[in-house]
Order: sequence, then C-alpha cells, then structure tokens
Amino acid sequence: MNDKLDRQTLQKHLAQLPLTHPERRAAVVPLMQSLQAERGHLDDRGVEEVAQVTGLSTTEVEELATFYSLIYRHPAGRHVLRVCDSLCCSLQGADRLLQAAEQYSGVSLGKISPDGAFSILPSICLGLCDQAPAALLDGEAVGPLNEAALQVLLRRLQEVD
Amino acid sequence: MGTMRIDGHDIPFQENDNILKAALAANIEIPYFCYHAALGSLGACRLCAVEVASVDPTQSPRVVMSCLEFARDGLNVSVSAAAARQVRQRVIEFLMINHPHDCPVCDEGGECHLQEMTVACGPPYRRYRGRKRTFTNQYLGPLVHHEMNRCITCYRCTRFYQDYALGDDLGSMRLRNEVYFGRFQDGPLTSPFAGNLVEICPTGVFTDAVFRQHFARVWDLETAPSICPHCSVGCNTLPGARDGTLRRMRNRFHPELNRWFICDRGRYGHQYSEHIDRPLTPRVRDEKVSYREALAAAAEQIKAARDKTSGLGSTREDLESNAMLQTLLNKLSGRFATFSDPQIETATVAAVAALQSSGGAPSLAEIEQADAALVVGDLTAHAPMMDLALRQAYRAGAKLAILHSGPSLLARFAATTLTVPPQEISAHLLRLHEQATAAPTAPTAPAPSNKHEKELADIAVYLTAAQRPVLIGVSETMAVPEIAAMVQLATALGSRAKLAYALPGANTYGTILLTPTTSTTAMLEAIESGQIQTLIVIGNDPLGDARLGTRWRAARRHLSTLIVLDCVATATAEAADILLPVAAWAERGGTFVNYEGRAQGFAPVFQRTEPLPNTVEVLADLAHCLELALPDAAAVLSNLFPGYQAPLPGTLGSALSAPPLTMQTGTTIGPASSAHPGHWQVALASWYGDDPLASYAPALMELAPAAAALIHPTAAFKEGIEDKKQVRLRGPAGTVVLPVQLNNDVAAGTIALSRVTLTQLGVGHGDLLELEHIS
Ligand code: SF4
Ligand code: FES
Ligand code: FES
Repeated sequence: MNDKLDRQTLQKHLAQLPLTHPERRAAVVPLMQSLQAERGHLDDRGVEEVAQVTGLSTTEVEELATFYSLIYRHPAGRHVLRVCDSLCCSLQGADRLLQAAEQYSGVSLGKISPDGAFSILPSICLGLCDQAPAALLDGEAVGPLNEAALQVLLRRLQEVD
Repeated sequence: MGTMRIDGHDIPFQENDNILKAALAANIEIPYFCYHAALGSLGACRLCAVEVASVDPTQSPRVVMSCLEFARDGLNVSVSAAAARQVRQRVIEFLMINHPHDCPVCDEGGECHLQEMTVACGPPYRRYRGRKRTFTNQYLGPLVHHEMNRCITCYRCTRFYQDYALGDDLGSMRLRNEVYFGRFQDGPLTSPFAGNLVEICPTGVFTDAVFRQHFARVWDLETAPSICPHCSVGCNTLPGARDGTLRRMRNRFHPELNRWFICDRGRYGHQYSEHIDRPLTPRVRDEKVSYREALAAAAEQIKAARDKTSGLGSTREDLESNAMLQTLLNKLSGRFATFSDPQIETATVAAVAALQSSGGAPSLAEIEQADAALVVGDLTAHAPMMDLALRQAYRAGAKLAILHSGPSLLARFAATTLTVPPQEISAHLLRLHEQATAAPTAPTAPAPSNKHEKELADIAVYLTAAQRPVLIGVSETMAVPEIAAMVQLATALGSRAKLAYALPGANTYGTILLTPTTSTTAMLEAIESGQIQTLIVIGNDPLGDARLGTRWRAARRHLSTLIVLDCVATATAEAADILLPVAAWAERGGTFVNYEGRAQGFAPVFQRTEPLPNTVEVLADLAHCLELALPDAAAVLSNLFPGYQAPLPGTLGSALSAPPLTMQTGTTIGPASSAHPGHWQVALASWYGDDPLASYAPALMELAPAAAALIHPTAAFKEGIEDKKQVRLRGPAGTVVLPVQLNNDVAAGTIALSRVTLTQLGVGHGDLLELEHIS
C-alpha cells in the first residue's frame, strides 16, 4: 500500500472526526482503527503516520497501540478468533479450548494460517462471562463454546474465502 | 499537623501526607518501590503494605498500601504485623519470578533497591521453576544502558521521564506481564535529563552506559561531596572514582537546588577529566619537563618581564584560584582580567549587579513555584536544571513566555513564544515593560511596527496577574540594554517578581566580583601595544573565543611568554609556551559561587596515580619561586569579602556578601536598529551538552547536533535557499560551508549556528554575517 494513499485516508478520517474530537490527540484511536482496517494491522509506518497527524510522539502512539488488545501491531489473518482466557472462561475450560484450536488448525496462537485466512488469539475478559467459555469472531460474540463448536467455526473460516 | 502511631511510636505528619511519606520522614522504614518523593504515589508495586487497626474494635485490622492511605490523627499502623509482612514477602516472590539471577554481573549490584528489599522482606528461596519471561533490550544511545528483563514495573522511569521531565520518547508499552518500558524504536533518548533514569530505576533496567565502559563495583568507589562544574546552577553532585580515575557522577540532594536530579551535562560531562588529550605532563615550549622545571621556567620569564606580566582568570576556575591569581598580579603590579570577550564581561557585570540589587535570584525550588515566567534566550542549553524547574512550574499551570532568536527546547511548553532576531530582543522587552506598566484603563500606546503586539500584551497580562512571576535571562546571549530592560520589567512587576540570570560558567558570579571594570579590553589593548610580555592564563581559552579568538591569536604574537594552567587541551593550552597541567574538579577542593550568589564548597574526591597540583598550589609555588610572600587562599578571600567563611563541602552553601557592582552606564537602553541589508544576524544555537569542559566528554558529544546553518523556512524561501543545500558563510575570521537546515525556531533574518561554527567565523551572538549561495 503506498504511503500517499495512507496519508489521504488519514486526512480524510481526521476531517470526518466528529466534534467530539476537538483535540487532535483524541483522534488517535479512531485513526489507528482506520489504518488497521486498511491494512489488516497497524505497522511501524502506520504508527509514524498517526503520530504525525495527531502531534503525539511515535512512542506515545506505540504506548496506546500496544495497550489496546484490539489494535494489532503484527499481521493477523483475514479473520480473527479471540478466545477468552480470563477467570470465568478459564474455569469453564478455555485453556483446553485454546489447545484444541491450535491442534485442530495446526496454527499456533498469534500466528496466521498458511492460507492467510485466520489467526487465533487468546484474549482478556470479553465481558461475555455469562456465555463462558466465550470468544469473539471478527467482532461477533460466540459462546458458550465447546470443542465441537470450535471445530465448526474454524472449518467455516477456512471455507469462507 | 497530627500524630499517628506506628508500631507503638507516635509519629507526626503534615497535612496530605500519606502513611509512607510520614513514616520515612520519621526514619521508620516501610519497604517500597514505586513511591518517590518527587513523583508521588502510584500503588503499582504493592510492597508498601502495612496493617491498619480498625477504629471499631469488633472489626479486624486490614492491610493497606501505605503510599495510598492518608495519615490521620490517631491512626494505628503496624509495619511488623504478620499479615503485612506476608503480603510484602509474596510481592517480592512474585517480582522475583521473572527477575534474572544476574546480580553478580549486574551494574546495579551494591546499590540495588530490589536486592535490598528482597533480602529484607522476601523469601530466601525461589519456589518458581518455570521459564522466565524474556524481553529484547533497546539501544537507548550512548548514555543509558537498557536491560528490560530486570524490570519490576514500578513505572518510576516513565513517571520521571514523561510526567516530571516532560519527555516523549520513552514510554510504557504492552499489557499484562509483558509491560515494557522503552522507545518506539531503538535510538538515543532525547531528553536532557535522561540520565536520571539510572538513579530513579530501583533495579538495573537503566544503568549508566558511560560508567559501564570503565566499571567499578560501587562499594569500591571513592566519593566526596562535590559541585557540578558545568554551569552556573551549581547542582550538588557525588563523583565516584577508583584507582586514580573518575568513573561516574551522581546527584547529591540539595533541598533548594537540584534536589533528586541533575542534567545529562552534569552527569556525563565528567569524561573531560579522562580525555586522552588531557594535559598531564608540564611542558616548556615543545619539551616535556618536570613540574619544578616548568615552574622555574615560568618564574624566570616573569622575572624577566617584571611589571609586564598580567593574568587572565576564568569563570570556570574556583573562587580561590581567581583570587590567588589576582593577588599574585597585585604583587607583580600587573593587570588582572577574567573574561576573554569584553562584551560578555560587561553583560555579566550588568547581570550580577542586577541580581545583587534585586534582592537575590530565586532558587530552583522557588522557580518551580512560579505561576508565570518570562525566559529570554535558550535556557536549556545554558542552565539545564533551571529548565527542569520551569517544567515543574509549567506542570502546575504556570504560563511560560519565551523570547528567543534560535532553537529552544522550552518553547514547546510556552504559552507565548516570540522568536525575534538578537538585535530586536531589547525593543521587545521595552515594549513589554510599557505594556506591563500601562494603567489598565489607559489605552496602550501604539507600538511602532511591532508585529508582536498581541503576544506582548498577553505576556504582560499574565506576568502582571501572577503572584510569583519569575524572569530569567541567559546572560551569555544578552547585551547590557537587554539585561537592563529585564531589570526595569522586574521592578515594574513589584517585589513579588524574581529575577535570575543563567551565567556562562560555574563560578561566574564569584569571578565577576573579582574582575576590575572593563579589564578585558584594557588587557587586550595592553598586549597589542606591547605593554604586556608575559601572560598567565588559568582555565580560560581566549585563543578559542568565538568572537575574539582571532584578535587574541594575533595579540598572542606580541607576548614573549604565554603561561597556561588548565586541565583540558584548549587552543590556548596548545599554544602555551609553558603549560602547567592542574587537577580537575573532582581531584581538588575549592569554592564555586552559583547564579544566586551562593558559595558552595567542594571536596577533593580522589587523587590521580600521579597527582597533579591544583591551580592555587601552582600559583603559590610560582610565588615562592619569585620570592614573593603570598598569603593563603583563605586569607586572601577573607580580605576580599568581609566576614568570609569558606563554605564546607556537603552543606547547603552560604550567600557571598560582596560590595555591590554597578551596571555600566553609557549604553543607552533603546532599540537597536536591525536592518542590515545583505547581512544576517547570528544566533548561538547551543545545546545542553555545550560547555567548555563537557565538550571533551566523548559519549555526550555523540549527541551533539550536526553542524548546520539553521534558518527559518520563510526567510529561506524569500532568499531562494533550499533545505539541505550548501551555503557559504563569511565572517571576520574566515568562511565556512554548511548545509542549510530549515528550523521554525529561528528568527527571521537570523542564522543560528553552533559555537564551533561561530569560532571558525569569528562572530558572536548578535553579530552580522554574510551568506552566499553556492551554485
Ligand atoms: S544544571 Fe548545570 S549544574 Fe546542574 S547538573 Fe546540569 S550542568 Fe550541572
Ligand atoms: S472471563 Fe471470559 S468473557 Fe469474561
Ligand atoms: S510504594 Fe506503595 S504501592 Fe509501590
């Protein structure tokens, strides 16, 4: 993706930011999201671009980018399955689920499947404790999960595109 | 303000104290990591657990974090309670899970807070047998070394670096047990205060990269209370030496000055004393000789020249050495001066006269309390810790106004920045004075052609409204009219206003009190007319002077003998006929008088394997060879300054009482014309590592900005000058070809240049210069 286009995307987003962002720096999260939507993840160049537009330093942008678990600083698959491993889900077998996901897909956590279709990530509490063990698939809640349901999900992911 | 009980002892506390702070003040040790007196409480480490008894006896006591709990009257606290001890032990055990077992090879060993706390509170054995989390370290530049695996996430580093010192290139990244303190990418830390990370980190994540190159175990270091020799602030330091060499510099607490911190010039500038070119052997012409031979040769020349001997002292030489040289010259009926540039001499007289009559300069602690401040010049480069004090004022809401001609790091925090050519500074100050004195109802007189009217009005408003306004000028880049205009402004603001000047050397205040009026010009002229044959220079570099180096170099040819006493290889030392190397600061004791007029003593820390005499000793030995009876330094000083008592090293220092200087009149306060067709005004583009001693410190110098001609983009555009293009600059001493660097912090019609470039061109701040395009 060329730099110029990215700058334009950013500028466009900046222009569209609602009045709730009168302070440029406050636009940092929507800007990171917008770049991530463009490229699948926020790369180093993206951090620099966001810094330039918001007036924050690259370090300050990096602090935020690496704090929010929904911002990816590394390439991710086209689909992302985030399996919760926090307290409730853990008690309901999340750790086994994560192991099964790795075994079934042959892709280790945080890596991308060879066809680029998906990544599986462990996640902190998703606020879906009532559906434990829970997961987010491309932002949609799924749960309670079991190994069979997980396999169905993963197969679907491999088939979609 | 109240009393609480800690383990059966009554402990007083102040309002808003937390339990930890009050306990520490009473010398009760509650273990802690993340709390710091300058940074406050955070509650990140959980080590400061104590047990607090409930007021209701039916309720059981609870464990709280002592740094987060206010001290209250009648509160009953136990540090020794089993429950609190257990929490602290577990906290240490958790922290040690990932901490490497590298104490035997860790630089922090011997002064590691984590090591001490682990021994004091932790379990003696590690139960954890699993894999440890490991991080990749970053290259943070030549001054600070990074070892992230040792981190205990107390957040002290970022709280100091970002919150306190307002740096933005070190931060806390990531989540959970992967929290990482570093930069976005590898690269040198940019803050002038980065070196404080070494002391603020309670373990060995950030260590001194310079000390590391020539390391010693800290318990093997010789130390003694010293004073930083690198600028006029006079921060208190603790040098560490071993085997006859100086290894490192640390902060030493002074409640009114530097408190817990020092700047990187102060911390890393000390490498000058171990520089490979440092003169260590006396020399007569081209021959290395013994100390006695050099002395005898010097005495012989002085005898031959008789009353044609003169002496040049220095602002970086201590009070004793300058006073002794002056006394020696009195005996020889010779002239005595202390500055190599008469313009800087008169500006310094004016600045010190102003400080004396304004009732004293504010301490750094007082500068921190300012609610509005006006800074004239690049303060960071000339007195870094004054900048750090102003950053604290800014954090507390003070409005800062910066009036400057070239780059200034403080401008980022200014409410109002006025970037004007050097020769227009005084006009702006005068106008500001008018604005500040105008009765609120009277319409302000229209200022002829001042495009900054609005900004000046803003500054006038917040300076006059302030309860504790502070005015700070950088005297090296100011002329008498500007200094006088600042005094006028301070007077107009009334007695609540405080006035300070950053002076150009550690002992400038003390030196100027010994300097006869206009002595530099008189001395130069006397040399040029052959009235002086032998010149004794101590710790000064007239031949390397930016503005007058050429004239001094020409004058030098009229001298039959140049005798130099110094601890660095300056141009003057190299040109000396007789060179007498002297002890560097940590190798001797003496007194510096800082910008407030505070005399502070420093003690000898160590001796070199082949000890060098200090300047006073050399002068005394020289007098002896000349068969002159010279009183000792203490006697000389009590003669000069009534009631003088040498301030003891390690104390807070004492005000030096001296007869008031008078600001040299004859220079009218008025706007200088600044239209010079075909010429550019020169501004000194200094930086925080720029001082005559620190420029011999290799690690610090790696960070020196590359030589360039800094020009404002608009000015460059008007002249058809492009960024990065080479231009030729022509000054009285020579021409220099440099790449252009566009910089928004440079005034119109002005070129900002480094001190080295100024010396090559033979110009000083505010002088004129020609610029030629190179096709
Ligand atoms: S501010 Fe000046 S005196 Fe203080 S540490 Fe820095 S250079 Fe030394
Ligand atoms: S613990 Fe899994 S969603 Fe809350
Ligand atoms: S000092 Fe209280 S939690 Fe760290």
